[in-house]
Amino acid sequence: MIGERVIRIDGEVKVRGRAKFGDDLHFPEMLHACCRFADITCGKITRIGIDKAMKIPGVVRIALYADVPGKPLIGAIRQDQYPLVKDRVYYQGDVIAIVAATSLDAAREAAEAIEVEFEPENGIYDVEEAYKPDARLIHPEFESNVVVHYPLRKGDVEQGFRQSDRVMERTYRTGYHEHAYIEPETVAAEPEISTGGFKVYGSIQNPFTTRGVVAGYLGIPLNRVNVHGSVLGGSFGGKDDTVNAMACRVALLSQLTDRPVKLTYRREESFRESYKRHPYILRYKVGYNADGRLNAMKIDMLADAGAYSSQTFFVNWRSVVQATGPYVIPNVHTDIRGIYTNNVYTGAFRGFGSPQIVFAQETLMDEIAADCGLTPIEIREINGFRNGSRTASGQLLDGHEVSLIEVMNRAVEKCDFIQKRAQYQSMESERYRYGIGLAVSHRGCSLGAEGTDAAAAVVSMQADGSVYIITGLNENGQGLKTSFCMIAAQELGIALGDIVFLDPQTSTVTDGGPTVASRGTIMGGKAVELAAKEVRRRLFETVKEHFDAEHPDDLEWKDGMIRKEGFEPMAIKEVAHKAAFSGVNLSAYGWYRMSDAEWHHHTGQGRAYNTFVYGCQVAEVRVEKSTGKLEVLKITAVHDAGKIINRTGAEGQVYGGVAQGMGYGMLEDYNVQEGVLKSENLDEYLIPTAMDVPDIDAEFIENPDDFGPYGAKSLGEPTLELTAAAVNNAYFHAVGKPSDSIPINLEKALIGKPLYKPHRSSETGEQKKLRLGELTVERPTTIEEALRLDGRYLAGGTDLLVQLRNSAKSERLIDISRIEELTTMKGGRIGSGVTFTKLLQNNELMDRYPVLREAISRVGALQIRNRATIGGNIVNAAPCADSVPPLILYGAKLRIAGSDGMREINAADFVLGAYKTALNPGEILESIILPEPEADNVWSYYQLGRRNAMNITRMSCGITAKLNPDSTIATCRIVQGSLLARPGRLFDVEEAMIGQNPNQGLPDEAETILKALLDKEISGRWSSEYKIPAFIGMVNDLVRELAGKGEQK
Amino acid sequence: MKRIRLNVNGIDYIIEVADNRRLLDVLREELGLTGTKEGCGIGECGACTVILNGEAVNSCLILAVQADGGTVLTVEGLETDGELSRLQKAFLAHGAVQCGFCTPGMLMSAKALLDKNPHPTEAEIREAIAGNLCRCTGYKQIVEAIDEAAKTSEDRA
Repeated sequence: MIGERVIRIDGEVKVRGRAKFGDDLHFPEMLHACCRFADITCGKITRIGIDKAMKIPGVVRIALYADVPGKPLIGAIRQDQYPLVKDRVYYQGDVIAIVAATSLDAAREAAEAIEVEFEPENGIYDVEEAYKPDARLIHPEFESNVVVHYPLRKGDVEQGFRQSDRVMERTYRTGYHEHAYIEPETVAAEPEISTGGFKVYGSIQNPFTTRGVVAGYLGIPLNRVNVHGSVLGGSFGGKDDTVNAMACRVALLSQLTDRPVKLTYRREESFRESYKRHPYILRYKVGYNADGRLNAMKIDMLADAGAYSSQTFFVNWRSVVQATGPYVIPNVHTDIRGIYTNNVYTGAFRGFGSPQIVFAQETLMDEIAADCGLTPIEIREINGFRNGSRTASGQLLDGHEVSLIEVMNRAVEKCDFIQKRAQYQSMESERYRYGIGLAVSHRGCSLGAEGTDAAAAVVSMQADGSVYIITGLNENGQGLKTSFCMIAAQELGIALGDIVFLDPQTSTVTDGGPTVASRGTIMGGKAVELAAKEVRRRLFETVKEHFDAEHPDDLEWKDGMIRKEGFEPMAIKEVAHKAAFSGVNLSAYGWYRMSDAEWHHHTGQGRAYNTFVYGCQVAEVRVEKSTGKLEVLKITAVHDAGKIINRTGAEGQVYGGVAQGMGYGMLEDYNVQEGVLKSENLDEYLIPTAMDVPDIDAEFIENPDDFGPYGAKSLGEPTLELTAAAVNNAYFHAVGKPSDSIPINLEKALIGKPLYKPHRSSETGEQKKLRLGELTVERPTTIEEALRLDGRYLAGGTDLLVQLRNSAKSERLIDISRIEELTTMKGGRIGSGVTFTKLLQNNELMDRYPVLREAISRVGALQIRNRATIGGNIVNAAPCADSVPPLILYGAKLRIAGSDGMREINAADFVLGAYKTALNPGEILESIILPEPEADNVWSYYQLGRRNAMNITRMSCGITAKLNPDSTIATCRIVQGSLLARPGRLFDVEEAMIGQNPNQGLPDEAETILKALLDKEISGRWSSEYKIPAFIGMVNDLVRELAGKGEQK
Repeated sequence: MKRIRLNVNGIDYIIEVADNRRLLDVLREELGLTGTKEGCGIGECGACTVILNGEAVNSCLILAVQADGGTVLTVEGLETDGELSRLQKAFLAHGAVQCGFCTPGMLMSAKALLDKNPHPTEAEIREAIAGNLCRCTGYKQIVEAIDEAAKTSEDRA
């Protein structure tokens, strides 16, 4: 069974929609909770007024700092975080009060109504500022803003530099990374009558940690808090400290009200409060010989810990251990410091201090290789770890197969790296560059010298041979339950279906440590193996005489039977039955304690981890020269994680880790300005869609290992840590220079730096309400009826409902989607209520207006296009509205119905600016009239977005033209969107194109005119440094595309 | 408050709803169909995807009153007498489920695709699920599962 493809045991309830996640729980008499967050990022709280909030119908209780009966501070290592703040605000995600009410709407409304007065102070949002000796203390009770400092010293680094042929210095930066599990956090608590304590449920990654924190907060013993984790909708390290703070708040409310209380976050609240991956600044100085051999490396790293220390102590420790990468370097001098700031706090996230250093270190290796005239493979072969190598911390790599070179060679062979490395250079076109690059890593398994490492499991066979498993480790979605059941099934020789994995409750099993550090399989799996072996041993004792055997391994335990040649086989069920009724205890406890690792804090020397895993990933990329858009074409991943338990699950770990690592490297930009979050939801914090993640080719190398079950090690984290580095090295290969920071987004790739909209302090106080206010919906069936009603028109609702959710205003809505004449199409007339999907299905129309088809086929995703109407898109007049520019291009007219009758207006004159139109109050956009398109046109269109789907259009351009027989341009129209103050034609540029040949892109004169226009119109904007060159580049691409299409005709 | 008619998973309901209740709220809270999830509330993640009158939609962006008279299929309606649909089975066999939170919405987008286009290309599959974010799987096994469900003959998706 081990190593096969097994269907996950908790899969069926999930595909049936029956799995109970935290927010799916409902208890009788349950109250709903909502947090009152801080309005500022740093400062004092001078007054909290709850009277107004308490008067809102349904509000039962509001809890504040003063209500906390136990220890008011929490924290993994250092207690520095108030789940309900005392009198100071440390970051924007701080919670001042929590409301319990009989409905969620009432709780939200009350939270908005809590009056808080602040004395804002100047926060520190820059990690280098906070590190300065004279910087104001973020937490005055600690003597420094340095949360932790880990040094590592080996050899003499200065001498090493002197002995080197060359020295290279580089600074790299990595950004925040938000877990973005699809399930936002939920915690519920209810009084437990039998213990006089509380039962806690929800999206909890580490139930034992949560138990300890809640017990401390309420001032009650551990045995009065029973944490029962719900099905977890993704965690990746993320549902730990934040969820613990939430658990404290709801348990407190439950104590104060004696009722069940549930707190479920909206996405915005999750993004606001929850910790992220630490941003790092990494300074590397490396000395090496001309042949590529490394002599010395000096590394200085600063990690932004944000407002609270959380897991910074452990995260930064892993970084210091692994910062030199998997290379033999005789002289090393490393320092890492985690620093408090007033930013969002940072903590555990899959990879845990490694993705940052792998990005920097592996980029550096390719830079050194280039400098020495070596290939990426050669530089790693020269310096890479082998059996018996010593790490930077002086650890001898023994007792396991050091397979670094093996995984690299396999990956290189698998993707044809060497041949593609040559081929991609010659594939460069006018529009794209191509590249391929790799990254390798070593990773210490489980906790290592972070602390004592032990895990528990109970395997209990019943009298009918069926089995329970209980462990203290958690199913986060990674497939732990299935792996553990496979291990028990393997040991006991029974079927997977005979085993039930009980949902763990902290009251029923010993604390097995947290489900972190990719330790589930290696630690918890081993505990299951030991427990199952013990049950098997006890069964064996009852049958050994029958089989005349001395050891359980002398028998075959398989398919529910015990066999030995020459003896009558016995069914395990029957053996269990007999054993149970003859007083044999068939429940066994497995306790696996990994041998201690060791670490000398002052020198950074020691045996950091007992064993390591090795991996190599190769990325193949394409970079669009004009816009900087980077796309990954393929990832090849080869990992030695020891023995694979469930192959299907293991592959899933690789694919998922790669997708997250890719997002980290090129897309995901958690934008915080002056401590204020700007990417509040998944429309602004962009994670990869199915159209962004390329083909991923995964392979495992299974070397033996002494520690985990059957030699299984760790896989979850190594899969993520390599991808950003591999992508950057491929990008390096493509464009000739690596990026010194991630994410490599459009701006970084084109102009070498990211751009952010500057923060205005006036924006701090604006809080989205995240609920719908009172609504009254009228449903007219004719335009006349609609015009007589007073209110806002509602069509598809895909924009309007988002706006209403932000404002929570009471509104009267007029649902016009039932007015038949608005939803019909005839000839060139499109009713305003026609959805994008219906419009796209009208092939006759779409064939005549191909730029319109291209543009609207990229609106949102299918779910949006199925509801959103063309009229709504026009009337909403968002700058990024995709349908408007093509309508202008084709000279469309808009018919508008008002109480005085119908009027017509050119589409070009309709949009006046962002969210401003020529529509008068009460008027309805009735239809869009498209004139006959000009004959014999060629066309081209480009919508630039950060992703390949679900984009908010950054810029768009559409061109239609008529070419002369000599391929020069006879007539042309060019339209821009999301660029100038409003969408529109570029008449002067059009004119300069006449008579010119498009095959070289924009003619010089036209480009000069365009550049002058853009300089005049948008050069003052924050985005113009990118948008001006990118748009000119885009138009050049589109003009060349016209020439190509002309030739085809 | 309005009285609306909805057919959900083959059952006709007459429900009194406040005008500001979303279709998602009615499914989860009034009908107890908690398989449909909320992940973002603004139509970006697709966890709340259901099939309304044959089309995949985000139930967080539709007021229940807008769906009046409509036919809704949720993840709970995919199975027949306890027997999993071909698509559900394929998701299991291919490891297309990890944490499972995106799974209901993903299944509904896949079902809506296969109902209209029984033999999609890989590109068409990826486009059909582009509005369903998944953070665990990297989508590969999901795409493979949908592809297999499409290829497995006459069985209903």
